[in-house]
Amino acid sequence: MSSDPVITFSHVWKKYSKQQVLNNSLREELISFMTGKKYDDDLSEGEFWALNDVSFTVNKGDCVGVYGPNGSGKSTILKLISNVTYPNKGMITLQGRVAPLIELGAGMHPDLTGYENIYMNGTILGLSVKEIKYKMAKIVEFSGLSDFIQVPVKKYSSGMFLRLAFSIAVHSPADIFLFDEVLSVGDNEFIIRCNDKINDILSREKTIFLVSHEVDLLDKFSSCRLNIVNGRVDRCQV
Amino acid sequence: MIKRLYQYRDLLLVFIWREFIIRYKQTSIGILWAILQPVSLMLLFTFIFGVVLHTTQKDYPFTLFYFAGVLPWTFFSGATIFSVTSLSSNFHLVTKIYFPREIIPLSGVAINFIDYLIGLAVYFLFLLVYGIPFTWNMLWLVPLLGMLVLFTTSVSLLLSALNVYYRDVKLATTFLIQFLFFATPVIYSIDAVSNRWKYLLFLNPLTFIVENMRRVTIEGREIVFWQFAIEAIGVILLYQVIYRVFIRIERAFADVI
Repeated sequence: MSSDPVITFSHVWKKYSKQQVLNNSLREELISFMTGKKYDDDLSEGEFWALNDVSFTVNKGDCVGVYGPNGSGKSTILKLISNVTYPNKGMITLQGRVAPLIELGAGMHPDLTGYENIYMNGTILGLSVKEIKYKMAKIVEFSGLSDFIQVPVKKYSSGMFLRLAFSIAVHSPADIFLFDEVLSVGDNEFIIRCNDKINDILSREKTIFLVSHEVDLLDKFSSCRLNIVNGRVDRCQV
Repeated sequence: MIKRLYQYRDLLLVFIWREFIIRYKQTSIGILWAILQPVSLMLLFTFIFGVVLHTTQKDYPFTLFYFAGVLPWTFFSGATIFSVTSLSSNFHLVTKIYFPREIIPLSGVAINFIDYLIGLAVYFLFLLVYGIPFTWNMLWLVPLLGMLVLFTTSVSLLLSALNVYYRDVKLATTFLIQFLFFATPVIYSIDAVSNRWKYLLFLNPLTFIVENMRRVTIEGREIVFWQFAIEAIGVILLYQVIYRVFIRIERAFADVI
């Protein structure tokens, strides 16, 4: 295992609001847009720190398990890595392309066929149309759905949907893969498939983030674990 | 914007393609709707104002007069209505995956533009049928189209971004569109308006665009250049400001949506 850091969090803070209507946020954004003044340091009413001074590094080839109870900040970390949201304080540095598989099948449209959805979902995951054309046969074969690929996905069973989504996801050329609760939904055969594919990805010097609230599942795959409790992170080796 | 989107061009194209497919999936006449919608609106206006109310609109043929107004209007209102809720209804994408957010409202502008181009082809057929001579001045249509697209894009970006924060925007847009319909010379000619109101109406870029689209295609006259320059600069500045604000508040979309 090499030791080039691909992801570095240094003193990252992220706050969220409990309020439904965020009247302040737009005003704050616009004022800071015009005056350069920042509102990031303090909590206003109804806000809380979802991540609290989080620091860690992840190296190339690591498979990181992220563990914590519901609402502890696991998904927030993935969102920060994939640039969906930004920290209020602190720095995040990334090296390489991120495949944001936060939710399998994001962007799939029920009215489109499996074939059409491969294009849709694939481009969302950062593949170009050319790459998808090139990998199409492999994606379809891996999903095991070649008989149903011209059927709208609204007629798929949830298992079929998942297979297709996973198949598109793992064919992404990214360097960092993020899986949020992906493993807890599949059946046994699916888990075995995932296992093989994850080992395959890791053997190519890529980095994987697995999120789950089941420790056993995480430890089966990952080489180190981030324990998150109330927005604070501890790192431990497995 | 172009620089930012270049890297994501495939995603934008696939988004446009997806919306286009979905729009006409499970319809029986499919793409013909792109023609049927403006043509039926044009016929309706011609019937009401020409036959029922017996008004006259300059010395233009009725059908051409309304068609020329209805086409850009349908594009603008269609794209705006599509865009307003586009970001908030795609929240499952916005909160999970990063890509330049403007791709979503932009794909709405794009598919409505495709419909518009189809309608425009039919419009030129009408011009042929009415024996309107084709002149070089019709090329003015190209910068006018550019202005229309830029203005529609600005409005779509602004409303879709605001709707992420306040769902009031969606509700207010219904009224805004109706208001703009009457503030744009779609069913009347600007020449029928008194001078005092005329200047006010020209604050709406759509007024300038719609009026001059008629002028360059039906009359074959050129555009007054200084008027064009002022309106074009106005539209470009508006776009610049709105796009900058959009980029700024885009970062928080996933947190507030």
